[in-house]
Amino acid sequence: MEKKVLLAENQPEFGAGLEKALNMTPADVVYEVRDSGMKGRGGAGFPTGVKWNLAGAASSDVKYVICNADEGEPGTFKDRLLIEKYSERLIEGMAMGGYAIGGSCGIIYLRAEYPYLIPVLERARQNFLDRGLLGKNIRGSGFDFDIEIRPGAGAYVCGEETSLIESLEGKRGEPRNKPPYPVNSGYLDKPTIVNNVETFCAVPHIILNGSEWYTDLGVGDCTGTKLFSVSGDVERPGVYELPMGAPLKDLLELAGAEDIQAVQVGGASGATVPASGINRTLSFKDLPPGGSVIVFDSTINMVDVLENFMDFFVHESCGQCTPCREGNLRLMHAAQDIINGDLCCKACMAPYFELAEAMKISSKCGLGQTSANCFVDIVNNFVELSDECHCGEYRCEGGDE
Amino acid sequence: MVRNPKEIVTEGISEFGNGRERIMQILTKVNSELSYVPSEAIEAIAEATNVSAAEVYSVVSFYSFFSSKPRGRNIVRLCSTISCAMAGQGDILRSLIDEFGIEPFETTGDGRLTLETTPCIGLCDQAPAMLVNGEPHVKLTPEKACEIVRGLE
Ligand SMILES: Cc1cc2nc3c(=O)[nH]c(=O)nc-3n(C[C@H](O)[C@H](O)[C@H](O)COP(=O)(O)O)c2cc1C
Ligand code: SF4
Ligand code: FES
Repeated sequence: MEKKVLLAENQPEFGAGLEKALNMTPADVVYEVRDSGMKGRGGAGFPTGVKWNLAGAASSDVKYVICNADEGEPGTFKDRLLIEKYSERLIEGMAMGGYAIGGSCGIIYLRAEYPYLIPVLERARQNFLDRGLLGKNIRGSGFDFDIEIRPGAGAYVCGEETSLIESLEGKRGEPRNKPPYPVNSGYLDKPTIVNNVETFCAVPHIILNGSEWYTDLGVGDCTGTKLFSVSGDVERPGVYELPMGAPLKDLLELAGAEDIQAVQVGGASGATVPASGINRTLSFKDLPPGGSVIVFDSTINMVDVLENFMDFFVHESCGQCTPCREGNLRLMHAAQDIINGDLCCKACMAPYFELAEAMKISSKCGLGQTSANCFVDIVNNFVELSDECHCGEYRCEGGDE
Repeated sequence: MVRNPKEIVTEGISEFGNGRERIMQILTKVNSELSYVPSEAIEAIAEATNVSAAEVYSVVSFYSFFSSKPRGRNIVRLCSTISCAMAGQGDILRSLIDEFGIEPFETTGDGRLTLETTPCIGLCDQAPAMLVNGEPHVKLTPEKACEIVRGLE
C-alpha cells in the first residue's frame, strides 16, 4: 500500500543523482524528467519536464531556479518535513534543475512561518559546498550552481508563482498577468523555473532510477508517489507517502481515521467529500492530490469549518480583483448567515452559487478561482436547504415571512 | 540596547546589497530586530534602493509579518486554522486573553508582548500550535501556552 521513495528508510546518497546528471547532457536530464510524467507537486500539476524544456529552450545567459517553499495551504506540512529531513535532497534537485535548463542561480523562497528551517538549509548548503557539489565548476563539469535562502513575510498568495516572483523582487505579492510565463520572463525578467519542494526532491530519484521505474510507481498517467499531510480527527496525524492514484481510503487507514463525517482533500481550495467518497482516488483526475488532507468527525459542524476557511480567504486575497476580494467576503457572510439560521432555502442560496461560478471564471489567479470550492462542496453535501423560504424578509423577495 | 533603525538598514544593505530585489530581506531584518518597521527604516530603505518611500510602505503593509506600528518585544502567533481550532485553539486564545489582558493584535502596556492569531503555520500534525518569536510550540493546552508566554522576558 505505502510505497516510499521520498521518505524511504534507505536513501541513495545525497549527491549521487547530481553526479549522474552531470554525466548526461542537460537535454537528456530534461527528457528523463519529462518521460517520468511527473506533474508538479505544488498543487497545479503542471508537468515538470515540460516546464524545464521550455525554460531550457529560452535563450538567456542568466536563468533562475526557484524553489517554492511557501507552503501556505491550510493543513499542509509535507514540505516542512522534507526540509527538516532531506534538505540536501532538495538542494540536489535544484542543482539538477539548474543543470537541465542552463541556470546557475537557485533561490529558496521560504515562508516566514518556518524561520527554524533556515539553519537546516544553511547547513545542507554548506555540506554540499564542502563536498564540491555546489559552487563553481561542480565536480569538474564546468557547471556552476549555488543557492540562496530568501524569506517570505506571511502572505499565502505568495505561494502563487508569479506573486512569489514579485515578492522576491521586493514588491507586494500580487499575481502577474500571464503570459508571459516565468519560463520566459520570470525573476528579474529572466527565464525562471518555479517548482515545489517535493518536486525538486523527487528529481534525483527519477534520474537515479529512470523514468520507467517512476511511472511504474503510480497508476496510469498519474505517475510516481505523493506525500500527503494528514491532520484533524485521526489517530496518527502526519505525512504519508502513497502511490499517486491510490484510494483515499488507504490514506485514512494509515492515519487512523475512525469516525469520518467529511474529508477535505487538496486544501481549502480542493474538494470536501462526505464519508461516502472514501473510495475515490487521489489523483489529478479525481480528488486533487494537493498536500493537505483534513478529516472531520461527526461532532464537527461543517459550516463552522466553512466559515473558518472563508475567513482565511478573505484575509489572504491580495485584493487585486473584485470577484475574489468581494466574493470571498460575501461567501463568508453567507456562511455566518447559515450558522445563524438566516439563510436556509434553495432560492436564497442560488445567488451564492452564481457568485461562486463568477469567481471561478473571472478571478485572476488560482486563489480566487478555487476559493469558492469549499463553499459549494460544503453547502451541497452538508447543509439541508428547504424548498420554502424561511430566511427572513430582508433576504428573500417574495419570502413568506 | 535598541539599535537605530538606520544602522540596521545600513548593515542590511552591506549584507544583502542595495537592489530593489533585496527589500524583503532588509525589511525582515529590521522587522525581526525591532518587532516592527519604523518610518525611519522605510525612508532609509527607499533611499538606498531608489524606490519611493510610499512604495516601500505599501510593501510593508502587504505582508502580515511586517508591521509599521510598534509591537511588543515578543510576538506570539497562535494558529487559528481549522486543525488547530478543532484541537482546542479557542480555549487557548481565551486563556491568553484573560491572563495577559490583551485581545489579538494588541500589545501589553509594558511593551513585553503582542498577541496575534495567524492562519495555518504548518504544524497541524501537532495541533494546536503557535510561534513565539518564530519558534514553534506544539500540542498546546491553555496552561502550557500561558506558562510559555509568562516566561518571556
Ligand atoms: C494561491 C496559490 C497558492 C499557492 N501556494 C503554493 C505553495 O505554497 N507551494 C507551492 O509549491 N505551490 C503553490 N502554488 C502553486 C504555484 O503557483 C506553482 O504552480 C508551483 O509552485 C509550481 O511548482 P510545481 O510545478 O513543482 O508544483 C500556489 C498557487 C496558488 C494559486
Ligand atoms: S484572484 Fe484574488 S488573490 Fe488572485 S490576483 Fe485576484 S484578488 Fe489577488
Ligand atoms: S491548522 Fe494550525 S498549524 Fe495548521
